[in-house]
Amino acid sequence: MSMSTIIESARSEGRSLLTEIEAKQVLEEAGVPVSPARLARNRGEAVKTAIELGFPIVLKIVSPQITHKSDVGGVALNLNSPDEVGAAFERVVASAKQHAPDATIDGVAVQRMEKQGVEVIVGMTKDPQFGPVLMFGLGGVLVEVLKDVSFRVVPLDARDARQMVHEIKGYPLLEGYRGQEPADVAGLEKLLLKVSEFVEQHPEVSELDLNPVFAYKDGALAVDARIVLG
Amino acid sequence: MTTPPSHDLHRALAPKSVVVVGSKKADGYMWLRNYGTFIGGPVYSVQIDPNEIPGIEAMGVQNFTSLMDVPGEIDYVMLAVPRPVAPRVLADCAKRGVGGVALFTSGFAETGEEEGIRLQEQVLQIARDGNLTLIGPNCMGLYNRRLGIRQSGDQGAGEAGDVGFISQSGTHAINFGLVGEVHGVRVSTSISIGNAIILDVPDYLDYLADDPETKVIAMYIEGVKDGPRFVRSLRRAALLKPVVVWKGGVTDAGARATASHTGSLATSQAVFGAIVRQCGALAADSLEDAIDVVKALLYAKPATGRGMGLMAMTGGQSVVITDAFVNAGMEVPRLSDASYAELGSFFNIVGGSYQNPLDMGGTIGFGGSAGTLRKLFAILDADPNVDAIAMEMASGFLARAWHANPASLDGMLDTLAAHRDESAKPFVAVLQPQHVEDVVAEARKRIQARGLAVFASFERAARALKRATDYHRFRAGLD
Repeated sequence: MSMSTIIESARSEGRSLLTEIEAKQVLEEAGVPVSPARLARNRGEAVKTAIELGFPIVLKIVSPQITHKSDVGGVALNLNSPDEVGAAFERVVASAKQHAPDATIDGVAVQRMEKQGVEVIVGMTKDPQFGPVLMFGLGGVLVEVLKDVSFRVVPLDARDARQMVHEIKGYPLLEGYRGQEPADVAGLEKLLLKVSEFVEQHPEVSELDLNPVFAYKDGALAVDARIVLG
Repeated sequence: MTTPPSHDLHRALAPKSVVVVGSKKADGYMWLRNYGTFIGGPVYSVQIDPNEIPGIEAMGVQNFTSLMDVPGEIDYVMLAVPRPVAPRVLADCAKRGVGGVALFTSGFAETGEEEGIRLQEQVLQIARDGNLTLIGPNCMGLYNRRLGIRQSGDQGAGEAGDVGFISQSGTHAINFGLVGEVHGVRVSTSISIGNAIILDVPDYLDYLADDPETKVIAMYIEGVKDGPRFVRSLRRAALLKPVVVWKGGVTDAGARATASHTGSLATSQAVFGAIVRQCGALAADSLEDAIDVVKALLYAKPATGRGMGLMAMTGGQSVVITDAFVNAGMEVPRLSDASYAELGSFFNIVGGSYQNPLDMGGTIGFGGSAGTLRKLFAILDADPNVDAIAMEMASGFLARAWHANPASLDGMLDTLAAHRDESAKPFVAVLQPQHVEDVVAEARKRIQARGLAVFASFERAARALKRATDYHRFRAGLD
């Protein structure tokens, strides 16, 4: 599905928030490295998709009415075989139905359980005067408490992306602090440039969050994605 | 968004004729006085009040009772009339096809009151319909040093300066001219832009970016109306010449003050700072700071390296000058083996050291031996680890010598100027006021007269040179 089809379907359903599956799909098409999430409507689809994506696998309930998935038992982590995925599909759907009997359940999002990297976040908000602004920071406490983030207005060029990554105070953590593997800084810069391109091409996107993005020694991957339409 | 009409700013900002409308005795005929130094052509007055006319004519200025009667082409009008009259005179300006109008009159949208907002709408309409090049309202207009058009009678006139200034505040525009001059920073063209209802920051920025007289641009702004347009102009200007952006209203309380001053919308400081850097411009946080950066850009040679060779007169000063430059983001490297070998052959290490910083008081003597100082400069200049040199001029010690024998300063300045001429590396001097402010003030003038960059503190020198280096790195594609 293209961006325009996805937007159309979201709008026709009166939604401004794309589902994680939709968000990742449009980002993937735009060349942003994301951990893909696919919709499985039944157990068979879930198992088939899991085999395609590779183990370990995460399942998450997909329902327009359910926003806090883990509260309804709608998340299953670290599934290592087709059988585990199949059983977890039944479990997750049953639990969601029990906790939220009125919710429409579209199915389950199947995605790889990605290995932990250095956690960073990439976000976009619209400044009333300057338009879309990208934000970059280290994930978790560093962004929430210390506000250790950098900004650039869209569009970014290579220099901007480089400075954004290097500007944060926590940059040494990306260089491999205390024996940690160094993160692929060039990969992060490339991801920022791809997000900038995406945002520039889609003015209808009013907010975007990739949180977390895992930075590995080779490459970076957005593990969760949130897109709000304006 | 409509494309703003292009304005021929050169006619208004480098005018060949000037008219002041509404000059009056109550303010000492301020505008006619400010333009008393104008050399570009005639200065006329328009005033209808018979009580005011004799005073104007006594100044030797020809007065007319209507703008329509003024002879010849009118390039620049300073409009200082009560606000209800402003729309009518602006309509005359449009009819006459003047080059530009600066509207000094205030009491428009910045008041937040209905009458002011209504009048501003009216002014805007007249200006748009008449395609008027309108500066302001609520502004001090133009300062063109070479032509002698000033925002204040205290500003200098004569030789052209080389720094363009754009200011959302009349006070800061005037002070940049006045204070800058004390520091060897002279204005080419400065515009107090007021409420900027027609011409806005990007218009002036585009003009100054293309103005051959302007080598560096600085600005004081509180907010931006058209963000993307501002970014485009700032980016373009910074690729052509250094641009220093001093932003007011960076705190929440300051932003509230901004809203009542120029009605500007607040953008988060973090985002604004990022934009400045993204465009390759340099941020400053006060008048002095902006002047310091401009001074470093004008008077220190361009370099992209951050390695400092530091020279101080005592141990304590050599420690704090080092801290200042490192804190500002510069580096203080070890010198080359060749430098150490050479320094080791003559440097007095009793009460001194030459690791970098050079603690050189005991070596050059507190009178400042020219021969030894020249040798130290030559070593640092040749050292591949050193990209720029900063030197403390120990005002406390030197003041006594300079006071007794003013010519002794000239000897030192000869040495510094010779070094500056021979070396491709940026050189900055630090002359702290200490307890001898009056001597220092006099000495600073003489140092600046030799075209040397001199700062009042290590921190100011370091922060200024760091940003000048940032700019040269940006231009070289390094950062």
